[in-house]
Amino acid sequence: MKRVGLYLGCNIPFRRPDVEYSMRYALKALDFEVVDLEGAACCPAFGSMPSVDLLAWCVGSAWNLSIAEEKGLEYIVTGCGSCYGSLNEAKYHMEKHPEIKQKVNEILSSVGKKYEGKVKVYNFYNLIYDLVGLDELKRKVKFPLKGLICGAQPGCHNLWPEKVFPANDENTFQPKRLREICEALGGEAPWYSTITDCCGMGALGTLAKDKSETLFIRKIKTMLEEINPELYVVGCSSCLLRGDNRQAVMKKEGKIDFELPAVHIAQLVALALGAEPEKVLGLTEVPIEKVLEKIRGGA
Amino acid sequence: MEGNLIKLSEEFLQELWEEIEEMGMSVKDLRRCIQCGRCAATCPMALAGLDYFIKKIVHASILGLKEIFLEDSSIWGCQSCNRCVEICPMDIKPYELILALRRMCMRNYAMPSSTIDSLRNYYEKGHSVITAGYEERRRKLGLPEVPPTVLSNEEMRKKFQEVIKQTALAEVAPFPLD
Amino acid sequence: MAKIGVYVCHCGENVKGAVNIQEVLDFAKTLPEVVIAKDYQFMCSDPGQNLIKEDIKEGLIDRVVVAACTPRTHEPIFRKALEEAGLNKYFYEMANIRDQDSWAHWHDKLGATEKAKRLIASAVAKVKLAEPLEDRYQEAEKSVMVIGGGIAGIFAALDLAEMGLKVYLVEKQPSIGGNMAKLDKTFPTMDCSACILTPKMVEVGVHPNIELITYAEVEDVKGYVGNFEVTIRKKARYVDWEKCTGCGHCMTICPSKAPNEFNLGLNDRTAIYIEFPQAVPKKAVIDTDNCLYFKTLRKTGKVACKICEKGIPSKNIAGCPAEAIKFEDKDEFLTVKVGAVILATGFKVMEKHHFKEYSPNSPDVLTALEFERLISATGPTEGELRRPSDGKKPKSVAFISCVGSRDERFHTYCSKVCCMYMFKHAKILKEKYPDIDLYLFFIDVRTAGKDFEEFYVSTKQLGAKVIRGGRVSAVDIKPNGKLRIRAFDNDLCSPVEVDVDLVVLATAIEPGIDTEKLGRFFGASCGREGFLREVHTKLYPVDTASRGVFICGCVQGPKDIPESVSQAKAAAASAAATVMPGKIKFEAISAEVIRNKCSSCGVCVNLCPYNAIVLEEYQGIYKAKVEPALCGGCGTCASACPSKAIIFHGFTTEQILAQIEALTTY
Ligand SMILES: Cc1cc2nc3c(=O)[nH]c(=O)nc-3n(C[C@H](O)[C@H](O)[C@H](O)COP(=O)(O)OP(=O)(O)OC[C@H]3O[C@@H](n4cnc5c(N)ncnc54)[C@H](O)[C@@H]3O)c2cc1C
Ligand code: SF4
Ligand code: SF4
Repeated sequence: MKRVGLYLGCNIPFRRPDVEYSMRYALKALDFEVVDLEGAACCPAFGSMPSVDLLAWCVGSAWNLSIAEEKGLEYIVTGCGSCYGSLNEAKYHMEKHPEIKQKVNEILSSVGKKYEGKVKVYNFYNLIYDLVGLDELKRKVKFPLKGLICGAQPGCHNLWPEKVFPANDENTFQPKRLREICEALGGEAPWYSTITDCCGMGALGTLAKDKSETLFIRKIKTMLEEINPELYVVGCSSCLLRGDNRQAVMKKEGKIDFELPAVHIAQLVALALGAEPEKVLGLTEVPIEKVLEKIRGGA
Repeated sequence: MEGNLIKLSEEFLQELWEEIEEMGMSVKDLRRCIQCGRCAATCPMALAGLDYFIKKIVHASILGLKEIFLEDSSIWGCQSCNRCVEICPMDIKPYELILALRRMCMRNYAMPSSTIDSLRNYYEKGHSVITAGYEERRRKLGLPEVPPTVLSNEEMRKKFQEVIKQTALAEVAPFPLD
Repeated sequence: MAKIGVYVCHCGENVKGAVNIQEVLDFAKTLPEVVIAKDYQFMCSDPGQNLIKEDIKEGLIDRVVVAACTPRTHEPIFRKALEEAGLNKYFYEMANIRDQDSWAHWHDKLGATEKAKRLIASAVAKVKLAEPLEDRYQEAEKSVMVIGGGIAGIFAALDLAEMGLKVYLVEKQPSIGGNMAKLDKTFPTMDCSACILTPKMVEVGVHPNIELITYAEVEDVKGYVGNFEVTIRKKARYVDWEKCTGCGHCMTICPSKAPNEFNLGLNDRTAIYIEFPQAVPKKAVIDTDNCLYFKTLRKTGKVACKICEKGIPSKNIAGCPAEAIKFEDKDEFLTVKVGAVILATGFKVMEKHHFKEYSPNSPDVLTALEFERLISATGPTEGELRRPSDGKKPKSVAFISCVGSRDERFHTYCSKVCCMYMFKHAKILKEKYPDIDLYLFFIDVRTAGKDFEEFYVSTKQLGAKVIRGGRVSAVDIKPNGKLRIRAFDNDLCSPVEVDVDLVVLATAIEPGIDTEKLGRFFGASCGREGFLREVHTKLYPVDTASRGVFICGCVQGPKDIPESVSQAKAAAASAAATVMPGKIKFEAISAEVIRNKCSSCGVCVNLCPYNAIVLEEYQGIYKAKVEPALCGGCGTCASACPSKAIIFHGFTTEQILAQIEALTTY
C-alpha cells in the first residue's frame, strides 16, 4: 500500500475539518495508508515566519518535514495552498542554499531532530493526478457527477512559483489538472477566462477586507457569465474559506446577488467515492442541497 | 510625505538599501526593473486598489523611500501568490522584495496587529491561525477533538518552542518567548 | 644602445582620472635606454603625433612606446606616424594603460599608477629587442561573395556590381527578398514593400556582374582575405531551372499540400512550389518531405504520383509544359574564389509558443510577421483582415510590444523596429477600417529616427489608443471567442483590461539559426546575443574580426530597412576597398621556421588554425614551412614547437621573456 503523510496545517483542522475528513476518506478509498504527522505545526504561513526572516521560515518548515522523514515517508499531502507553497518554497531555498540547510540542522539538532530534504510535498489534486491517475480514479467512482458543471479554481499557491513544486500544470496560465479531475468524476469543468484570478483570501483579506472582496466578486461574476457552473470546486482550503464561508457572509451583507455552492476538491472526490454527505459537507455554508441531489439522488 | 508630494531625497535612502539587502533582496538585481508594469497588471494588491502595489513598491525601494513602508501598510496585503515572480521579464523576483520589506518593518516594529497575533499563536500553540470552536466542529464529524498536531502533544510543543526560540523571532517578536 | 621615447596619453580624463601622469613620466625616465618621456592630452591627435615625429626626425629617438588606449584601434595610427617620420614602423610598442588599467582600477588611483608603470616598463623591455620588419603584399581576387539575399544583401551586391566587381550572391531560399518581401507596407513612408523591393530583386536577377546562386548554402571555406575559396552546395531542386519558365502550372495540379512558409503557415502551398509570385528567380522546386512521389518511394520503394510531370491524362490534364521536372536531380557543389565576403543572412522572429501567458494556443493570437502576411495584398486573405479562427472581420485588435525583447528570460536587447511597425500596423488598419478599435500596449514608446516621432503622433491622431507602462501580463481566451488583455496603464496609474478579437505580438527579432555556424566558417564571431559582432561599434561598424569579411543588415543586430541598406552600402564600399587595388598588404607579424632546428615532428601543422603550415622536402628531409600570407599571426605554433624552431616575428621569445621580467621586477 502507498503510504502518504497527511499534513494538516491550520485552517483545515480548525476551521474546515470537513476537508480533513474528506481527505482521509478519499485517500483511504484510493488505497493509501494515511499517516498522521504527530507534532507537526503551522507550515509556517507567509505572514508569519517568512516575514521574519528566511532562516526562521526554513526552520519552521523543516520542523514539519523532519517529522515526515522520521516516519520514513516519501511524500506528504496537504489540502491547503499556502502550506503547499510555503513548505515547497522553504524546501527550494534550503536546497539552493546549503548553508541555510546546515544552520537549520544545527538548530534542529538541539532537540534531536534532523532535516534531509527527502520528502516530496504534494497538494491533494496533484497527488491524485500523478499517483493515482485519472483512469484509476474513474474506475473507483461510485457516484458520478452526472455532468455537473464545475467552475474550477486551482488557487495561486498551487501554481506559482512553478519551479518549486514537485508537480504542476503544463501551462500554469491555462491550468487543466483540476478540471480533468472533475471530469474524471463525471462532471464538466469548462475553461473560463478568470480561472487563474486570485480570489482575494489571505493577507489581502485581512488587511483590506472590502477591497479584497471585489476580487472575488469579479472572478465569480465573470465565471458565472461565461460558464454558469453549478458548483465552485477549489484546490485550496483558503479558497474554500473565501468561496464558501465568506460568500455566505457577503450574501447576508447584501454585497452579492449570486449564490454558488462551493467545495474543496477533496470533498468532491470523497463524495464521488461514496463518503457520507453529512460528514463531507457538514460544515458547508452556502446551500448545496441541489448539487447533492444531483449526485446522490437525494441520498 | 507631505500631502501629495513625495520628497525624493530622503535621509533614509542608503539605510533602506542596506536593510533590504540584509533581509535577502539583492538591490543590484532590483535595480534592473524597467518599470514595464507587467507585475502591476496582475498583482492582486493592484487589482484590489491598495495605495502601494508591487510595481510602485519596487520603484519606491529603488528610490530608497523607506518612510513609505513604515507608514503605509500595503506590503502586508501581498498574497504571496508569486504571480509577479512568474512573469517579471527582468527576473527581479518582486515577491522576495515584499518579504525583505516586511522583515525590515518588523525590525522597526511597524507591522499590523494581526501579524503580531499570528506570530504569538505560532509560538505558543504551533499554529498561526486557530479558530475558536474547532472542538465542536471536529466532534460533529467524528474526528478527535484536538487534531494530531503539535497542539495535542505537549512534549513536541516544548521541543518546537525550543527550536523557534533559536530563530530571529526571538529578536523581533514584540512579546516574550517563554 | 637604443634610444627609446615614451609618450603617455591622458586620453582626456580616461587615463588621467585614475593614473598620476607625472609620477609615471618620472618613472619612465629611469628605465634603461629611455631618453625621452613626454605626455599629451590626446596623443593620437595631430599635435600628439607630431611630438613623436619631430623627436624621430631630430634623431633623438629610434624606438617608440605609446602608453594610451587599445592597440586594436590605435596601433595602426601610431605605426603610420613612425613610417612618416622615416622609422621602421615595427620599432613601436603600445602599453594599454586605459582598458587594462585606468578603466579597470578607476577607484584605486595608487594601484592604477603602479600598474601603468609596469605596463610601460614591459613595453620598453619589448621594444628594446624589436627588429625592423617589412610588410608583405599578395594578389587579391577582384570579386566578392554576398551571402544572404535580403534587402541588405541585395543592396551590397548591386553596389559592388555597379563598381565593376564580380559578385556571387548566395541565398538559402529559392528566391531572394528575405523578410522584407513578407512585409505589407513599410514605415515611416508607408511605401508598399513589394513596390520598392521587387524592382531591386529584378535588377539583381539581370545584372551582368552578379551571379545569383539561390537555394544554396555555404558548405566549406578555405583561404584568407584576397583569396577565399568557398564551396557552395546547391540543393537539388528536382526541377530543371534551365527549362522552368515559372508559369506555375505545376502548382495548380500538385495534389499534396504543406504549410506555406512564406505566409508563415497561415495557408498551404503545394509540394512543388514557387516561393511567391514575385520571386527572383521565379522557378519551382519540389519539397521532398511532402512530395507524394518521394514519400512513397521512401516508404515502399514504389513509384507514385508524378502528376506534375505527367499530368492526369484520364482527365485531360497536362503535366509541366516545359518538361522541366527532374526527379533524379542531385545536390551540386561548386567552388568559387573571391577576395572578400559580405555576410547578410538577416534574422528570424520569435515564435509565439514561448509565451504561455499569452494564450499561444489561440489561432487569433498572431506574431507581427504573421500579421504582415494577413494584411498583405499577396497574403492568404489577399489583404482582407479576417480572424484566422472564424474568418470574421475583427472589430478590435490589441498589439503587444516587447514580446521576448527586453526580457531576461529571452533577449535582453530591444528589437528596435517593433514600436514603429506597431504604429504602422495601426495606421494601415485605421486607414482601411476607420471604425476599428485599436489598443497598442507599450512599455515605453521608442521613436528615435528620422520622421519617426511624427509617425507616432499622426497614428494617435487616427484614433489608435496608446497605453504606456503597459507590458501586458495576460491574454486569456474567453469562451465567446474574445481575447481578454490585462495590462497596467502608467498614465491612468491603474490596471486595465479590454476584450478584443485579435492579438498581435511584437515578438523579438533574433539571430537566424545558422548565424553562428556561418560566422565560424569565416572566422567572424558572435556577440552574447548571437548576432555577428562588428570589430568596433563606432569606427568599424561593418567589419568583423576576420579580415576581408564584412557584415550588414540584421545579421549584425535588429534594425530597420533604412539602416540595413546604409550598412549594406558601407559593407560594399569596404569590401571594394579591400579587393579593388588587386593586392593586399599583410602585416609582418608572422611565424617563420628555422629549418635546421626543425625536428620534422609536424606538431605545428595540425595546430595551426589557419592551415598555414606544411611539411616540405628540404635537403631530403620533410621540414615545416609557414606560408606567410596564410599565417594569421596567432603564435600558436611558436609556443607549441618542442624544438623552439619557430620564430614569431614581432613577438619573439626573447621579447616575451623580457616583458615578463620587466613586469615582475619593478
Ligand atoms: C513584423 C516586422 C515588420 C517590419 N516592418 C518594417 C518597416 O515597416 N520598415 C522598416 O524599415 N523595417 C521593418 N522591419 C525590419 C526589416 O524587416 C528588416 O530591417 C530587414 O528585413 C532586414 O533585412 P536583412 O537583409 O538584413 O535580413 P533578412 O530580410 O532576414 O534577409 C536575410 C536573407 O538571408 C537569407 N539567409 C539566411 N541564412 C542564410 C544562409 N545560411 N545562407 C544563405 N542565405 C541565408 C535569408 O533567406 C534571407 O533571404 C520589420 C520587421 C518585422 C519583423
Ligand atoms: S514586472 Fe519586473 S520589471 Fe516589470 S515593473 Fe514589475 S518588477 Fe519591474
Ligand atoms: S506575490 Fe504579492 S506582490 Fe507579487 S503579485 Fe502576488 S500579491 Fe502582488
